[in-house]
Amino acid sequence: MTIDGWFIAGAIIGLASTITCAVAAVMKKKPNDITLLALAAVELFILTYAAASVVRLANGGHIAGQPWEFWGYIATAAALPVGGFYWAMMERTFWSNYVMGAVGVTVVVMMARMAQIWYGISTPA
Amino acid sequence: MKNTPSTPADDVVPSRTTGAGRLLITVYGVFAISASARAGYQIATQFGDAPVAYLLSAFAAVVYIAATISLAKPGHKWAVAATAAICIELLGVLVVGVLSLLDAKAFPHATVWSMFGQGYGYVPLVLPLIGLWWLYRHRAAASR
Repeated sequence: MTIDGWFIAGAIIGLASTITCAVAAVMKKKPNDITLLALAAVELFILTYAAASVVRLANGGHIAGQPWEFWGYIATAAALPVGGFYWAMMERTFWSNYVMGAVGVTVVVMMARMAQIWYGISTPA
Repeated sequence: MKNTPSTPADDVVPSRTTGAGRLLITVYGVFAISASARAGYQIATQFGDAPVAYLLSAFAAVVYIAATISLAKPGHKWAVAATAAICIELLGVLVVGVLSLLDAKAFPHATVWSMFGQGYGYVPLVLPLIGLWWLYRHRAAASR
């Protein structure tokens, strides 16, 4: 797969979010402003990536793979922090931070797949 | 995937959905979504290439969905359902893992369970063990 700036940025934000939440969970802290902001950062990144992808396509960019598969990943990735937030907030214990931490690393994996779809070095599906 | 926050008062078993259980259900939920999406995509676009592998993908997706829902629901019956789903999951990852190891050509990396879930960081192999351990712990707590 081609590693571009978007993937690097996504990997940094996603992993930082996961590490932040995991550290807070290890310290037995309940979800607080810091971990919620870490989760929000992931959501913000995905929305930015989605908007930027629209701009890139409008400027003559091209998705090598199936466009609807790419946008399916975007939609799912954008839904993950929201779902993780609700699922974590329904019970506010330090475990909720682990739940929110799972979002970041999942999004990193999805970013890798989205890069594959965009640049077309597709693995056998 | 969501669970009603309030469980009935007669539910004396410590809920499977609290604490670490929430994380477990989260991971199962992620696998349910990704396996469903992958199977749906495979069947929609290239079903003719490898129908058996893609039906296996769909089966894996159904198992993950069943495990996620049954883990999230309170009560003894759902615990039994979750145990059954997770046992099938464990069996699936072991059988498919061995088959893909023995005959890699006939079994390309086409399902979540190929090569014991290597493509997913072996999480599919570890997840059912954790799930069964979690259910067992809560069964032990219930009988006390």
